[in-house]
Amino acid sequence: MRNEFEHEQLPQEEFERITIDSDQAERIEKPSLSFWQDAWLRLRKNKAAVVSVVVLLLFLILALIGPHLNGHAGDAQNLRHANLPPKIPGIEKMGIFDGVGNLAGKKVDLYEMKKVDEYYWFGTDGLGRDLFTRLWLGTQVSLFIAFVAAAIDMVIGVAYGGISGYYGGRTDDIMQRIVEILIGIPTLVVVILMIMIMDPGIMAIIIAISITGWIGMSRIVRAQTLKYKSQEFVLASRTLGSKDGKIITKHLLPNMLGIIIINTMFTIPNAIFFEAFLSFIGIGLQAPDASLGTLINDGYKVMEHQPYMLLFPALVISILMIAFNLIGDGLRDALDPKMKD
Amino acid sequence: MKSKKWLLLMALTLVLSMFLAACGGSKEEDKPAADKDKEDDQATENPAEEDGEPDAEQVLYLEERNAIPSVDSAIVEDQVGFNVLNNVNEGLYRLNQENIAEPAMAAEEAEVSEDGLTYTFKLRDAKWSDDTPVTAEDFVFAWQRAIDPATGSPYGPFMMSGVIKNATEISEEKMEVSELGVKAIDEKTFEVTLERPVPYFLSLMSFGTFYPQKEEFVTSKGDAYATNSDGLLYNGPFILTDWDGTGDSWTYKKNEHYWDAENVKLDEIHVNVVKDSATAVKLYQDNKLDWARVTGDLAMQYRDDKEAVIEPETSVFYFKFNQERGGEKTPLANENIRKAIAKAFEKNDMADIVIADGSTPANFLVPTDFAFDENEKDFRDLSGDHLVYNVEEAQEHWKKGLEELGVDSLKLEILGGDTELSKKMDEYFKSQLEGNLEGLSISLKEVPFSVRLDLDTNQDYDIQVSGWGPDFQDPISFLDLFVTDGPNNLMSYSNSEYDKLIEDTKGELAVKPAERYEAFAKAEKILLEDDAAIAPIYQRSLVILQKPYYKGLVRHPFGADYSYKWAYVSGKK
Amino acid sequence: MVKYIGKRIVYMFITLFLIATVSFFLMQSLPGSPIASYSKLNETQRAIVEKKYGIDKPKPVQYAIYMKNLAKGDLGTSFAFKGKSVNDLLASRIKPSLILGAQAMVFGTLVGILLGMLAALKQNTFWDYGSTFFAILGISIPSFVFASLLQYWIASQWHLLPVGLWNDGWKSSVLPSLALAMGPLALSARFIRTEMIEVLSSDYITLAKAKGANGFEIAFKHAFRNALIPLITVLGPLAAGLVTGSLVVEQIFAIPGIGEQFVSSIMVNDHATIMGTTLLFSAFLIFIIFIVDILYGVIDPRIRLSGGKG
Repeated sequence: MRNEFEHEQLPQEEFERITIDSDQAERIEKPSLSFWQDAWLRLRKNKAAVVSVVVLLLFLILALIGPHLNGHAGDAQNLRHANLPPKIPGIEKMGIFDGVGNLAGKKVDLYEMKKVDEYYWFGTDGLGRDLFTRLWLGTQVSLFIAFVAAAIDMVIGVAYGGISGYYGGRTDDIMQRIVEILIGIPTLVVVILMIMIMDPGIMAIIIAISITGWIGMSRIVRAQTLKYKSQEFVLASRTLGSKDGKIITKHLLPNMLGIIIINTMFTIPNAIFFEAFLSFIGIGLQAPDASLGTLINDGYKVMEHQPYMLLFPALVISILMIAFNLIGDGLRDALDPKMKD
Repeated sequence: MKSKKWLLLMALTLVLSMFLAACGGSKEEDKPAADKDKEDDQATENPAEEDGEPDAEQVLYLEERNAIPSVDSAIVEDQVGFNVLNNVNEGLYRLNQENIAEPAMAAEEAEVSEDGLTYTFKLRDAKWSDDTPVTAEDFVFAWQRAIDPATGSPYGPFMMSGVIKNATEISEEKMEVSELGVKAIDEKTFEVTLERPVPYFLSLMSFGTFYPQKEEFVTSKGDAYATNSDGLLYNGPFILTDWDGTGDSWTYKKNEHYWDAENVKLDEIHVNVVKDSATAVKLYQDNKLDWARVTGDLAMQYRDDKEAVIEPETSVFYFKFNQERGGEKTPLANENIRKAIAKAFEKNDMADIVIADGSTPANFLVPTDFAFDENEKDFRDLSGDHLVYNVEEAQEHWKKGLEELGVDSLKLEILGGDTELSKKMDEYFKSQLEGNLEGLSISLKEVPFSVRLDLDTNQDYDIQVSGWGPDFQDPISFLDLFVTDGPNNLMSYSNSEYDKLIEDTKGELAVKPAERYEAFAKAEKILLEDDAAIAPIYQRSLVILQKPYYKGLVRHPFGADYSYKWAYVSGKK
Repeated sequence: MVKYIGKRIVYMFITLFLIATVSFFLMQSLPGSPIASYSKLNETQRAIVEKKYGIDKPKPVQYAIYMKNLAKGDLGTSFAFKGKSVNDLLASRIKPSLILGAQAMVFGTLVGILLGMLAALKQNTFWDYGSTFFAILGISIPSFVFASLLQYWIASQWHLLPVGLWNDGWKSSVLPSLALAMGPLALSARFIRTEMIEVLSSDYITLAKAKGANGFEIAFKHAFRNALIPLITVLGPLAAGLVTGSLVVEQIFAIPGIGEQFVSSIMVNDHATIMGTTLLFSAFLIFIIFIVDILYGVIDPRIRLSGGKG
């Protein structure tokens, strides 16, 4: 505004005359970004999601190398060292992780009492196995179950829901009846029946979780497809002669990605929980396989006396959950094309 | 901005969960610390022996792990059902506070004929809860009903076959029910004729299957008999109320018609089904229960508690080695392989640290403190230890066994239960056996009890962790299990010498107690030391939390678990 | 609409019929005998017992009999409970489960919706982070860990409410209901927040704002109603989650409900009870889904019900 009143003379040499080039009118100054590049840029700005990704990566790495870090094997039993509390060199002087635990209601340095010289960072279980090693072995198993189950759920769910919603009519009718039958059977019953019929183990749990797990996804995708397919932009595209494939990939899927991703981000922790749940009612993984679920279950029973047995797996599972949720939120913000800034 | 707050949140979550966990730890410390001064007087002795008069309100709150499937004495087959029966009904005999069978419905000791085949019982003046007398006819009816195959009684034929005259034939529909060797001489005289002399016959008389039933009542109730607390007549110390047949709670009330009612001190016992041990312990600590079982990992934490009672049981657990699976011989048909496995796992640490509930390692099949000879000497003192842990011997047997089989490694499956404890033990066995026997790899199969029974019946397993709790007080209760083609053998074990010894104890040695026990000891040695047909693991104990004011509870080593008849409350504030 | 509902009801029965069929044959393929005492019975007894319960007949005949009885509402006979009817068994245990489920559902979704709306309307404020944090905790803590924490602190340590059992009136139901409510609460809070934010940024809200609608009107009349629709789609899984949760929560609090009974039935291979409970759970879920679909049509007129001409 000041300029209107202060007519300062600008030096002529500061200016350069240009010719108008109509070719340049449509030029885009910023580099052209694909949908995913754009999403990545915006995801990067979301510090919470970035931190979560880092945490998740850290946990993935720990899950892979953690079992080899302290020289104790996950299945090596040493009854003389059973039920020891956590003890970490260095930190032990600070009054935590110092090997002091409850014994019949008293605080005792159990390492001293049992004449143990080794350090068990996260303590030992009832068979004298190192819980640090077992924790990361368990994390491996839990993450594996969760990722595989979530991937299966997503693929089947999106395909099923998309086809059902998009084609509608009789196809939809038949497909929805099938879904209704499946959704009517409580997941748990299916899981239990599957586990009783199959040999219990990691595969049985994955199959059992995925056998009905995709239904939630398919219903949401169907609802979204129904919502979008009758909207104007789809109609417009169709009028312009787009094929079904193009409409689905270019118009419907991008609009639904957010909700698909949110839902997947629910599926991963869900799968982890389902496994934990099965362990709790006693039909989870078979020993000697351990997972976060079985570790939590072992710890839950003695939580009042040996809280460390519950604490570490519960913390890992909680942090994993939070990380997955935050990444999900971040991805949602980043992927939703309607929220471009 | 946003992300910083998120970070803060995450940090907060971490701190909070740490805090929660830390509190969980520290809170626990100061509570028992208050008990420190009392820790010396650990109440390990049986409270039943303590003094103290009933003073407070005579009401108790107890738990059971399962609901009552049935209280029909012909149908009952489970722990809870037998326990209920024992407290609401009564047979000719009842186990007393010293766990000796003494006359109950019988007025006096039975008269036994010279040949040991006929028992005559004089009934006392006892009444049913509907004020009618208990008669000899009631016993005749109940026993005939239990052996009648149409009733489908799991324990009728099991307990009576080969014991009571014609029982086997009747249970196979080859004779009429009325031909069973039981007779009501008059209203108060009941006579039993046996198939052969049975030295332990009187100890059977306290068992639920041999309780009386009143015909008129059973017939009038029809299918509704014993399906809820109104559908049953009671002749025991208590009557059952508030039981709807499927519910998770019931109440015992003192039975005013009981012949010995003056010695029954409790007025009411409230029972709730609590399936989770951790929950039961919390209810106990919150004074909602006066008595609670502590099982699994919790047992270790509570076994030294001042209100804890360790109850040794008479159940023994062992490996069954299946010698024939799916029509083919398994590697376990090799004696050396069996011996190697039986000696290759350490049992003392296992009992102390893995099981940790007071259970003791077993190097025997017939448990300690269970069967006694005529001089009150424990059977265990007559028969020594067998298959003691010994790695060197195990490895020698293993090497020999592998050579005989012509292989250098073996894969075997251990079939076990799906409880917390059995899973933990299976992992221990796996680690011990694989560590001590080179070339052995063990896979674990953990299934619910019903599935395990099925796999057992079909002999579809390699090694099974199995257990046996006796129904009556005699070594035969255990040793009869492994005779050739016995209904519980189910692992193709067969040794004619063993069979002969067991047969002798039922026949010619039946009236020669000393020689009979010798035969049992010999048979046990053949089964374990010579053949390693099974490998004993441990004898079970139970950790119980029991309020100090709950006194006079009697635990039985066989048959039903408890009698509340003599229990009372004293010193409750 | 009426025609649609009628059609849906017919489908519901077909669904139930198929579930009954599938679970019947799955039960037959399970290992283990349905008669617990089987191993103790002799041949003669087995034959008689099998005849009595009709399991000596060929499978198709058994199936036909089961279906015939089912049509009459008879769920069969429990072997674990020695010949008692499954109907009686379930009837004696349904009350606690219903009370807990209803309380958890109502409490959970109401509080969840409130939290979610709060978070969305006050986006990126303390309220938003607070409620989102709470929702994440609710999702992240397994119901059995949460239940045992509640039990440990509120009941065992502070003695505010009973540790367990079902004999203390309404007090007995508070902690288990709370433990069950965490799932619905967290789920609905998250969903409502996500949807509300999306709806709030849509054009018609901008229009409403431009026309001078006040904040309250926008939040409830426009945004809330549209945000509810996706929430309704998760009501089905949510109810299923409650059923699942009841299995462990009832066990932890020693509540004599259907969930607790179901777990025991599985452990003892009580076929008729497992099937009966499966059917009961399924009927419940199918009914919820039915209601959800009807509501879906009522709340969002843009969605055409597939039973119509489309």
